[in-house]
Amino acid sequence: MSALALLGAFGTLLFAGYGLLTLLIRQQTRFSLTEQIAFSWLLGAGAVSLLLWIFGLFVHGVLLPRLVAIVCLALGFVGWRRMVPRPLRRRATSFEILLGIIIVIEIAVVFYLSFVHTLGWDGLLNWEIKARYAFANGGILPGTYFSDSGRAFSHPEYPLAIPFTELWLYFWLGEADQFCAKTIFPIFYVVGIFLLIALGKRLAGREWIGLLVAPFLFFVPQITVEVGSAIAGYADFPLSVFYLATIGCLFCAAEQGNAAFFRLYAACLALLPWVKRDGVILWTVAAACGVFVILRTKRSPLFFLGLLPGLLVICGWHFYLRTMHALRPADFLPVNLETLGSHLYRIPPLLSAFLAEFYNLPTWSLFWFVVAIGVAHLSRRMGNPRVLVLLAALIVPIFLYLLIYVFSSWPSYLDHVGLSISRLLMHVAPVGFLVTILAVSSRSEKNPARVREGRGVTCVTAGSERTPVVELA
Amino acid sequence: MTSRFSYGRIAHVVLWCGLAAASLWVSIPKIYSGATQYPLRPTGPLHTCDSYLKFATGASGASKDLISIFHSMTASKRIVIFTRKDDPFSSGLGMTTAYLASPHLVRLFEINGTHPDNELSKMNPNEVAAVVFCRINRPTWLPAGKVFGSGLEVVSMPEKVRR
Repeated sequence: MSALALLGAFGTLLFAGYGLLTLLIRQQTRFSLTEQIAFSWLLGAGAVSLLLWIFGLFVHGVLLPRLVAIVCLALGFVGWRRMVPRPLRRRATSFEILLGIIIVIEIAVVFYLSFVHTLGWDGLLNWEIKARYAFANGGILPGTYFSDSGRAFSHPEYPLAIPFTELWLYFWLGEADQFCAKTIFPIFYVVGIFLLIALGKRLAGREWIGLLVAPFLFFVPQITVEVGSAIAGYADFPLSVFYLATIGCLFCAAEQGNAAFFRLYAACLALLPWVKRDGVILWTVAAACGVFVILRTKRSPLFFLGLLPGLLVICGWHFYLRTMHALRPADFLPVNLETLGSHLYRIPPLLSAFLAEFYNLPTWSLFWFVVAIGVAHLSRRMGNPRVLVLLAALIVPIFLYLLIYVFSSWPSYLDHVGLSISRLLMHVAPVGFLVTILAVSSRSEKNPARVREGRGVTCVTAGSERTPVVELA
Repeated sequence: MTSRFSYGRIAHVVLWCGLAAASLWVSIPKIYSGATQYPLRPTGPLHTCDSYLKFATGASGASKDLISIFHSMTASKRIVIFTRKDDPFSSGLGMTTAYLASPHLVRLFEINGTHPDNELSKMNPNEVAAVVFCRINRPTWLPAGKVFGSGLEVVSMPEKVRR
């Protein structure tokens, strides 16, 4: 019975996401099945959680999930009629099949690990707690929760994408179930892998590069088995997948005339601050990269409207917290020049702490070393705005994260760093994989004949991949 | 014409293959130990809370009992939870109990030492539904409560508490 309920919850979520995907793509670009599943999940999770929150302002009880389900089905039917075009099928090589089998095994292990482990500390007390309380209160968080000082440890001010996706499962299950809530996290891992494969193909022009690099995600301990990993029920890995989707779409949108990817970028961008508070920093970086791309490619000023949904989410959530008289977070001092000036002495120790984290082999293995080589490899191509965007999306958030610890209000700010740095760095880790893919493939790009020969669906060709019907129209 | 097997290309392939092999060499032991460290746990709606409470107190299936105790109390009254400073187990127990105490409002006291007499004496018992002691000794003047394993005790507050 639980399995059926979970299937219903995931089905409606994917249905809604697929509908949104078709609305954003408008049959202008071909998307592989893995891309369609990945974006449907991300957009579906974002849409369902936002709908639960927004509709919850007006209704609660049994009406709330029914209303949301109706919208999901309506979106799904829109998608059914418009269908995202798929690329032409070709026979996979035996090497690609072998890599595919490895990826399937890794995914199976990640699902197994997520069931073996309990929810992590923050997974339970920062995220699942909100889903449980909302479920017990007819789908909305009790007003007292936001101002209850005894539960300030659970960060009532954190946004609701993850807890309300869990809440969606609870509505379908008919009870709050910590075990079933964990199922959404390995799905985010699957989505991350699918995106790496698909974006790898678009970045490098070859299917096998994405298939070859994506399995290495499994071999980063911080992502697979460490505290706060993809299976622990924390929001950090889902946030990193949303960020990967955002930056990957922007990379593809940087091609002239590819507006479909820009719309997809805007949608993923809007969801960053909805997943975690730190998402505002990633939103800022990704939005700045978006502005750079718009200006550099001389797009219409209308493209700036793509930043609006994210701003609405940020302002809407802050306004809601104010209305609910939510307790102010106590982890950071007021961010102003005076505090910055009086805490500048922290920067050298913070730099050391960050550097130490990069070569923390038990947590990261050689991941950052590999990424550093990738960055060095790509530094010759900084003139290419797409490469510049990718490198900025990787490096700037790390510096901003370093800077926020200057404002830490913990008695020992280095303890604060030690507790959260690995999870913060995880936000940009999948983008590090994109950098690696681009670096690995950069050598072969020097030989254009071979690139053309191997190219299937790439960002370069995607822009002109309109279906004949659309072209005729 | 560029040779397909130029030195540059060979060096490129060797570099990335070497990095991949080295990454796997470093990662596999860690991933293997992480993957085989824990056995499958029983599933259930309170699977994580039960696991933590068993780990911290030794009591099995305590979450359900805690919830039913809190549900039997007047919802408008607070649950007061005492934890010990510098004791992560106590702090963890306190937060898990606060999680389970919904819909009651909660007040968490982190105290030095193990005797909360001072804080208790300042409390208005009419506003409190229960006092929870997490790895803290219950004062002898307070009636005994429901004990869960070692280190967790929930004392329902009578209307008047006399010292």
